[in-house]
Amino acid sequence: MEDTVTQNPMSITLFVIAGLIIAFIIGSGAVFFASDNPDGLESAALFVQNAKELFGQSPEDGDPEAIGTGTFEFKAPIPDYTLERGEGVDVLIALFGISLTFIVVFGLARGLHRKS
Amino acid sequence: MHIPDAFLPLPQAALYWVIACIFIIFALRWSRSEMSEENIPLIAVLAAGIFAIQAFNLPIGMGTSGHLIGGALAAIVLGSPYAGIFVLTIVLIIQGIIFGDGGITSMGANIINMGVIGGFVGYYGYIGLKKITNQIYLSAGIAAWAACFIAALACALELAVAGTFPLIPGMVAMGVYHAVIGVIEGVITAGALYLIIQARPDMVPEKVKSIIKKDNNM
Repeated sequence: MEDTVTQNPMSITLFVIAGLIIAFIIGSGAVFFASDNPDGLESAALFVQNAKELFGQSPEDGDPEAIGTGTFEFKAPIPDYTLERGEGVDVLIALFGISLTFIVVFGLARGLHRKS
Repeated sequence: MHIPDAFLPLPQAALYWVIACIFIIFALRWSRSEMSEENIPLIAVLAAGIFAIQAFNLPIGMGTSGHLIGGALAAIVLGSPYAGIFVLTIVLIIQGIIFGDGGITSMGANIINMGVIGGFVGYYGYIGLKKITNQIYLSAGIAAWAACFIAALACALELAVAGTFPLIPGMVAMGVYHAVIGVIEGVITAGALYLIIQARPDMVPEKVKSIIKKDNNM
């Protein structure tokens, strides 16, 4: 027998606003509370070039990309989500990125849906 | 798990782009046939949330941090692995072009790892586990963990083929770190699925939220 989780749905407008507020809080929080440690791939890169132990701390001056063999280079306009003009600007950058993602996905999805 | 340009030689990066494009075409087909006026806001909010959480690196010990990937979350919530590919492709394009998070040439590989593998392992892992355990959120958490872990191993394999990582140490390091990061992936995926089902159960496909109720009379 099939059973389904059911609740009274909140309005779509409220759902979108609540979702974006949560995303904005997370994005802003990242500016102040995100770890400075390298992520999993960067840590693995440091490990395989003997710059860190598997379970040890990462070196502050480690360069994960030093091991790279690729030749292509691209300079992003806002590298690493910061313009290095203070945390206030970084929060605005996070909000910009979240808003841009929402608008692009919403616009593309709408466009594709209308075409179909 | 965003592979930078420096980690892949151009010919291999191009090959991953070709493979990724095949899946992107399928994802666009999915979007045209499965998207509705009702679930478009959910897809957009989900993408915005995934972008935000990917920027939030949480410490996991071992001098390492980790964040949600999101391919499994999008695939499970929207009921198709192609949803994971659709959402992650757009998120990765914005991250790569504007924020330099992940490379341009290596973006195809990143789409394969986080979108394709994340989406397929996450979705079919969830459906399979839900049948066995009859638990929505536990199944989502474990499937998301597996999606993160397997995507990391695939990434290590690609970098070994590229000559960037030695195979065994690369697999060990990526496996160890992402086995822990996967826990974050699992907890956030289960939590987000719970919140979305509570807020708008009608937006989540029946096949995702339905559970089999055991009949005691039989």
